[in-house]
Amino acid sequence: MKKRNELEKIMFHPTGTDLKPYEWMISATPQQEWIDKKGIFLLLAFFFTEIGAGLYFISLFYQYRTGLILGWLISLILGGGVHVLYLGNPFRAWRMLMKPQTSELSRGMWIIGIFAVAGFVQIVTSNFGPVFNVIMGILSLLIISHGFMTMNVIRALAAWSSTMVIPLSIISGVWIGCQMFQFMLAVSGNQMAQSFEIWSQILLIVYFVCVLLYIWGTYHASETAEKSISLMLKGDLAKYFYGGVVLIGFMLPLLITLKMWDGDINAGLIFLRLALIFAGDIAMRYIIMKSAMYQPLI
Amino acid sequence: MARWGMVIDVKRCIACWSCTISCKEEHFLPPNVFWNRVLIGEAGKFPTSRKLIYPVLCNHCADAACVDACPTGATYKREDGIVAVDYDKCVGCRACLISCPYQQRTYYDEEKKNAEYFPGQGKTEYEKIGEKLYPFTCGTVMKCNFCTERIEEGLEKGLTPGTDDEASPACVIACPVGARIFGDLDDSESEISRLIMEKNGKQLHPEFGTEPAVYYID
Repeated sequence: MKKRNELEKIMFHPTGTDLKPYEWMISATPQQEWIDKKGIFLLLAFFFTEIGAGLYFISLFYQYRTGLILGWLISLILGGGVHVLYLGNPFRAWRMLMKPQTSELSRGMWIIGIFAVAGFVQIVTSNFGPVFNVIMGILSLLIISHGFMTMNVIRALAAWSSTMVIPLSIISGVWIGCQMFQFMLAVSGNQMAQSFEIWSQILLIVYFVCVLLYIWGTYHASETAEKSISLMLKGDLAKYFYGGVVLIGFMLPLLITLKMWDGDINAGLIFLRLALIFAGDIAMRYIIMKSAMYQPLI
Repeated sequence: MARWGMVIDVKRCIACWSCTISCKEEHFLPPNVFWNRVLIGEAGKFPTSRKLIYPVLCNHCADAACVDACPTGATYKREDGIVAVDYDKCVGCRACLISCPYQQRTYYDEEKKNAEYFPGQGKTEYEKIGEKLYPFTCGTVMKCNFCTERIEEGLEKGLTPGTDDEASPACVIACPVGARIFGDLDDSESEISRLIMEKNGKQLHPEFGTEPAVYYID
């Protein structure tokens, strides 16, 4: 047995997966490229572009220039930068503009490019005309959903093809953008932070309902999707789901929201809630990306 | 123009891995990189359980998910139906790898480049020659190319892929039981077209709508 193990170590290089070549895809196989090792950059890239665009989107309604600038920077510098770090050949990144007719990634690059230019123009000129605002609003929503949209078009991974993936990403982007916006208002002593709390209360509930609908919808989508959800709720990812998404991403923010229910808000609690929501959203994204599985080949 | 495809007779396959090894030899694939695999699984429950042996490779789909997903055009469909990768255009985003329902693509990185067949003992002469003859680009995605080089060279010599060994993929000529048949799917007179029709050739996961060019018969 010992000799056999040694032989296997030589035949199947230890730096590779534990799977033997003949075991590949004979049972539901988790995707790894977009989450393990360097794949974690993609998770962060999607997260940063989402929260930056979310902040930009909310700031647009109030013509809040600081929020616009910060949202623009987070989306492009952090989101775009980390995205490029993930690539195998970052210097060829411009080539990703070449196929918007079929590739969701390519379409996303175009949208980010247009957002970068148009956002810069809006910030510099302070042009908040209704047409420009609508265009920027649509671009922000597209960027918020870009990550999950890229995942959603992959038919091979049932957990990502779920109908609720896009609504969940939009709600989570707007929800985090809203929290960042409220925090900025509260820190600057703006009275609007208090009246804005109602949006926080609504979006917290809507966000969690979206998570539940995603789980329910995906569980009933297919056998492989059911396995993904089981992995999330009962398998290796359960600790991230209950600890990260449920406790940190929902229960604790809910407690803070209830504490401020009577309108007695303060920047410290809003910051704490924001930090918890950040962690909860990253956990939610990690779980969705990690739990996706391919249907067995035979 | 021909549309190249393959028929694999799973009843004939004896899981000897000749296809896997010959593919590795042909393309000098590094450790843990397989363009050809033989999957062994089980179906059913005792006493009606049976062993499944499925050789798998890139399906060179007519409506390939990887071609659509590639944002740079590095993965493209040739006129002869072969799905090819232009390593000079590949940006290494791995969208093709993720979108392939058959998981037949491999990301070639530094780790794979530096991997040795005999870990800790340096690269063999064979591996060194392979790097020169068949260089891969780090940070790109690789996969089976139906031995394009052999097909093209063979056609230039006036040979027929699938019929003449010199013009056929390495896995096809290495198979000792003749379980792999290569040929033109668009030619209704070709052997593979006849086998697909007569033996009701099946594709893997047709529900994905990718129209694979690799068929299985039993």
